[in-house]
Amino acid sequence: MNVEMLPLAIVGLKTDLHDVIHSLREAGCVHIDELSESPEVSARPLTLDRETLRRQEENGFLLARIEGLLDTLGASRQPVQQPAQESDLAEARTGVEALMSKVQGLTARREKLQAELASLPRYKATLKKLLPMIPPSAQQPGFGTIGILVSRMHVGVLDSIGKRALDLTNGRADVVASDVDIFTRAMLIVFPNEFTTEIEALLGREDVSRLRLPAELGEGPPDVVLAALERRMAAIPEELKTIEQELMELAGQWRDRLLAWRETLRDELDANSVLSRFGETDMTFVLVGWVPVKEFEKVQAAVGERAMVQKLVMTPELKKRAPVSLKNPLPARPFESLVNLLALPRYGHIDPTRLMAFFLPIFFGMILGDVGYGALLLVLCLVLIRKVRKGVMRDVVIVLAMGSGWSILFGFLYGEAFGTLGEHFGLHALWLERASPENVAGLLIMSIAVGAVHVTLGLILGVWEAFRDRSRNHLLERGGMLVGLIGLFFVVGVLVDYLPQAFMTPAIVGIIIGIVLLGASLGWLGILMGPIEFISLIGNILSYLRIAAIGLASVYLAKVANDMMGMVGNLIVGVIVAVLIHALNLVMGAFSPTIHSLRLHYVEFFRKFYEGGGRPYQPFKSQL
Amino acid sequence: MEGLTAIGAGLAIGLAAIGTGLAQARIGSAGAGVIAEKPEALGTIILLIAIPETMVILGFAVAAMVLLLGG
Repeated sequence: MNVEMLPLAIVGLKTDLHDVIHSLREAGCVHIDELSESPEVSARPLTLDRETLRRQEENGFLLARIEGLLDTLGASRQPVQQPAQESDLAEARTGVEALMSKVQGLTARREKLQAELASLPRYKATLKKLLPMIPPSAQQPGFGTIGILVSRMHVGVLDSIGKRALDLTNGRADVVASDVDIFTRAMLIVFPNEFTTEIEALLGREDVSRLRLPAELGEGPPDVVLAALERRMAAIPEELKTIEQELMELAGQWRDRLLAWRETLRDELDANSVLSRFGETDMTFVLVGWVPVKEFEKVQAAVGERAMVQKLVMTPELKKRAPVSLKNPLPARPFESLVNLLALPRYGHIDPTRLMAFFLPIFFGMILGDVGYGALLLVLCLVLIRKVRKGVMRDVVIVLAMGSGWSILFGFLYGEAFGTLGEHFGLHALWLERASPENVAGLLIMSIAVGAVHVTLGLILGVWEAFRDRSRNHLLERGGMLVGLIGLFFVVGVLVDYLPQAFMTPAIVGIIIGIVLLGASLGWLGILMGPIEFISLIGNILSYLRIAAIGLASVYLAKVANDMMGMVGNLIVGVIVAVLIHALNLVMGAFSPTIHSLRLHYVEFFRKFYEGGGRPYQPFKSQL
Repeated sequence: MEGLTAIGAGLAIGLAAIGTGLAQARIGSAGAGVIAEKPEALGTIILLIAIPETMVILGFAVAAMVLLLGG
């Protein structure tokens, strides 16, 4: 059911704007519309004063910094213990400033160490390759060592550099080379220190990449550097651990405060974002919105003397824009999520939640119809209901639990517990044994009868909606379908000798009148489309055969599981196979009836009367 | 005769199922793309995917009639 809404306008002096906003948030029941989309009230859009804009900008910047800090400290998803007061935000600015510098210092150091840790193994591999070929002169005082890395495609360059180095040093240099990997070849030049300038100049001219090691490892021959490198690699994880420890300590100290500030800032920004929907004159502000009729006095009391709350006349145009708030009894509320999954109903139109709450679990039960599966599913749902506290998932689980209850009931009516297994324990059908081939026709007729009732109800609701909306086309279309369908029921009644033959002619006349009315709603195209639409209506009813079809598939799969137990030869293997097939059937038994029951509602039932596309009622209130 | 009836029933539901499968495959893949961009369209996509199922249900109806009346 839709909650009845009242359109209103609130006008006050600009000097009281922030007080009025505060009061409206406290009241928490006014849905504020964009003034630009409300032609009923004439005012220019509100321009924010410089001070408000500056505060918004500051708060936005502070919020971004706090969110960054929370991400770094790994605390962004934790629950807020206690929201901060608005006055605490001054403390937030200084606190964030102090914390930011500490965290930035630590994270910068951590990033540097991580990069070093990632690069050192590469140096280690290269140095290890070079180690066996280090000439003895590298250990002597007065000698320098330079490493060069060259792609193996250009090894000729290395030979040329080696020769030139020997020439420059008059043969006093030692030059050795080796492959580092399949792509790279390394060369070491050990030379007396007095030739450093010449060697450096030579390498500069050739433009080759030098083996440059991090400065922390110091200078020296490869074996010394390698030892330093290994010491460094062992030390870095310890340093990282210390940094993580410090960050964790900071997170422990600041987390609650940061989370509280974040929530307060978000709330503050949210409160100010609504100002863009307001209008103004030179001295006053104005807003247009909606409030549930029962809450009107609450709004008046909250605003008090500071502004004037004016009821607007509900015109048809306004009614089209009214926000929608659904109000249903507790057992039907989980079905609101399923209705919203398609679309929110329009204001003033039928909310099908209660109808869905009645029919959907019954359809589910009719399809699954098994005491064993129903009981297992019910237990599973009850466990899940305790674990999933809110959201669409909880609603779906509650719907499943209701369906499982009906499934147990239909299980007794069909005489099924894990398919045919119940028979061995004395369970017999109280009404219709689905698994028996001679009852299939009865099952199909039952499904079609359910479809006929459901679709007819949908059409009756559709006619009522069309009548209320004064929509001639909808009235002709839905009325035509209804008249034709009733005619069809009479024809079937006569054909199965349930009604006397005298009903046949009026029934056929009814069908023809129905098709003509249906066609009339479609204009000239109706001559062709009228009969097609009527056939599609019959298709809608036949679609309910899925209740029988999917149910039968489940029964026969369960029967296969039970028969396999006896056919395998080994009792233990037979039981395992049967349990596996039953488990598969149970999973399918949870999904398939839900999806198909939903489809029967969305496609066959709702399309006869449902007007979706409503705007959700979003009252302006604090999120804290 | 009994065998032909069974084959007829099998064809009725089997061919309808292939038709439904082909339609659902196309709608499903397009629908998955839509949901990735616009999660609130989930209800509409379920509805669109469910529409071709009528074909296989009608196939089932024909198969049941063939078996029940034709046999």
